[in-house]
Amino acid sequence: MDLLSTILWPLKWVVELLLVAWHWVFSAIGLDPAAGLTWVLSIVGLVLVVRAALIPLFVKQIKNQRRMMEVAPQLKKIQEKYKGKKDQFSREAMSRETMELYKKTGTNPLGSCLPLLVQMPIFFALFSVLNDAQHSKEGVGPLNATLADQFGDASLFGFAPLHLSFSGAMNAVGGPEVGVMVVAAIMVVLMTASQFITQLQIVSKNISDETKASPMFRQQKVLLYILPFVFLFSGFTFPLGVMFYWLTSNIWTMVQQFLIIRNMPMPGTEAAKQREERLARKGKLVVESPSAETVVVQEKKPTQRQQPMGKNRAKKTGGAPGTPNIKNGS
Amino acid sequence: MNAVVDSVLLLPRNSAVAALKAYRTVISPLYGEVCRYYPSCSAYAVAAIQQHGVVIGSALGAARIARCHPWAAGGVDDAPAKKNFRYDVTPHGFVITNSQRKA
Repeated sequence: MDLLSTILWPLKWVVELLLVAWHWVFSAIGLDPAAGLTWVLSIVGLVLVVRAALIPLFVKQIKNQRRMMEVAPQLKKIQEKYKGKKDQFSREAMSRETMELYKKTGTNPLGSCLPLLVQMPIFFALFSVLNDAQHSKEGVGPLNATLADQFGDASLFGFAPLHLSFSGAMNAVGGPEVGVMVVAAIMVVLMTASQFITQLQIVSKNISDETKASPMFRQQKVLLYILPFVFLFSGFTFPLGVMFYWLTSNIWTMVQQFLIIRNMPMPGTEAAKQREERLARKGKLVVESPSAETVVVQEKKPTQRQQPMGKNRAKKTGGAPGTPNIKNGS
Repeated sequence: MNAVVDSVLLLPRNSAVAALKAYRTVISPLYGEVCRYYPSCSAYAVAAIQQHGVVIGSALGAARIARCHPWAAGGVDDAPAKKNFRYDVTPHGFVITNSQRKA
């Protein structure tokens, strides 16, 4: 066993267990154990379990993003300090100070790469489970030889086996299988569309005007148009079963994102304004976190230093900035 | 002669730096800014490998990735500098010997 498969072994085991468990559930409620639909639904089940397990991470991230409101004044101070300074050193110093602030106040809005990292091995595990099943090789755990056979041969819509990829179908022994290729192509389009819509939702609605002006945002926007090509490549080589997992996962992200943006948008964004309008129409608008608003205002006033006034000037203007002046004058 | 030996010795860490730089320009922008630390995990790994070589540097980088999870506080966390670091780092991040720089 090489290093990679050793690392993946426990994950493959879990993926197999989840697949077989869902398969058992669907068979128990009367679906044909060998039918493509049963296995496709098992993949959907797998997605549901994985994504549901990741919900707490997202909730935490959203909570942190909300708490960003509280540190907004301090954040603004840092941004003002480095305003217009575009050189590398200033940018670096600014990132450092921002990170320190997040740490000090416990409001880090970034979620670390763990949610991504967790999904990747699952992805590879599913990939290798399907790949093994393609050669009718039994899995490492709960997926025994019979089930592995069934899984590999299970077909989408009755003719597109889950273990086949676009390239596999193209180079099939008995000539290219056009049906499978069409299904794979449609999947790629759907995957791209779902990813695109998710990103577009975030980009167009849930980003504050300040972020929109940053160079990182522009970079992400370019990405929006590069991603379809990434999917095109993967759609060419990945088995249908893996693509189906990806597609379902994308749809989950899309819906989750939609609900989050609709119900708990980032303050100060397009989505937040829309939500307020919606609530106002229903007459349910509660002015949210007024304390945060006042903090911003209060923060600014005391910083303005009062100009010291000479005795004579104070008399002339008639103003009485300080009591000592009045005392002296009288 | 010494310079040749040195550049062979430095080859592993420079190829690792090149691989990381490729990752940072091609793959890392794909999912945007997610790291809870500054510098980000890959930037940390580059610095660690520059300073300590591939073996120790990779271990430091791996430890950092393990440290970076949603429950971590985050903040500024630089790679530890090596005491008596005897090489130079070019603006592109590659490690060279002092003599190469002068030449």
